[in-house]
Amino acid sequence: MTGFYVRWAIMVGGLILLALMTFQQYQRDLSTISLATVLNSPATSKPVRIQGMVKSGTLSGAVDQGQATFELIDGPTTLPVEYAGPPLENIRELKTMVLIGHLDPATKTFKAKDTALINNFGFVAAAYLLTVISICWVLFAMSQRVMVLFKEIKDEKLYEPEIDPLGHNK
Amino acid sequence: MLNRFIRWIQRYKGWFGGAAAVCIFLGLYIGLFASPPDYYQGELVRIMYVHVPLAHTSTLAYSVLFFGSIWYLWKRDPLVDNACQASAGICALFTALALITGSIWAKPTWNTWWTWDPRLVSFSVLLLILGGYLMLRKLVDDPERGGRYAAILAIVGGIDLPIIKFSVEWWRTLHQPMSFSTRGVAISDDILIPLTLMSIGAWLLFAYMVMVRTQILYLTDLLHAKKGRLFSQTHFSQTSP
Repeated sequence: MTGFYVRWAIMVGGLILLALMTFQQYQRDLSTISLATVLNSPATSKPVRIQGMVKSGTLSGAVDQGQATFELIDGPTTLPVEYAGPPLENIRELKTMVLIGHLDPATKTFKAKDTALINNFGFVAAAYLLTVISICWVLFAMSQRVMVLFKEIKDEKLYEPEIDPLGHNK
Repeated sequence: MLNRFIRWIQRYKGWFGGAAAVCIFLGLYIGLFASPPDYYQGELVRIMYVHVPLAHTSTLAYSVLFFGSIWYLWKRDPLVDNACQASAGICALFTALALITGSIWAKPTWNTWWTWDPRLVSFSVLLLILGGYLMLRKLVDDPERGGRYAAILAIVGGIDLPIIKFSVEWWRTLHQPMSFSTRGVAISDDILIPLTLMSIGAWLLFAYMVMVRTQILYLTDLLHAKKGRLFSQTHFSQTSP
């Protein structure tokens, strides 16, 4: 009985550890920050990821050569962006996108060097959690049922000798 | 023959469970950390590492149910019937999860939770067949008759398997075409490795779960038989002069 729960504790512990590691990695490498946070943070040369929508009527420059200027909006905040990097394949006005770069504190302009796809972590997390939790739950219930059945059968066996197989009353 | 095989393989149940756990943990680790994001889908591609193995295993599980049902109708072996019933329950779980994870994946990529796509519809029909199979077993009073009817339903329902497999070739569909075919493998190694590990893990897990469930059904039958015998013995000893 103890071995059963120890096995399950190790498995659940492993899964929780994996989930925490994944969460940490995604927070560190892939999560985006809001435009307001970038504007209010102290200046840093470390690249950050921001997400916002390209403001209508602001996109200009040689987009197919990787040079563009536009304004990014995120709620009430607007941030001018100077993009210089790989050619932008599918940028257009009113498109929500993720930009990687840093804020120039002198001009309050975001110098973007690259773009990334919008992260939909919620969908990934939902799919994984749903699958892992439901399968673990079914497995646990089944394993426990086997133990209960063995116990019940054993109890029935203990009861059996009370009855004389030949029908003689003791 | 199949009866002896089921009894023999039950001895190695723990190995299947252990191997499944190792493959799944490794697959999850590589899938979540080491494999790169997709060029078009980004991080969303990681849903594939759970969705595709679940879907593959569902069809494998139904194949087990299909051939097991043929065997049962031929030999009338109750242990094979138990294995079929176990397979159907686990298959229903995997099918439901494959549909739900597919729906979660479809929302950000197709912009809809559900569409009347041939692959999706044929897969949902599989879930309905399994629901019917399990209900039939519960609703018919005589377990042997219930097993027989359910086996016939499982065999008739087997027609859905080739429809699921070839639906992406036969009809115009939103679902991506087959990645593994005689034309070769249409997936890069970075994605193929975690996908293969997770698929092997899911097959082993299915095998393990079927073995445990078969054991539960066998033990339940045994307990009922034991209780019935005890009852009749007690009754006999009390009523005999």
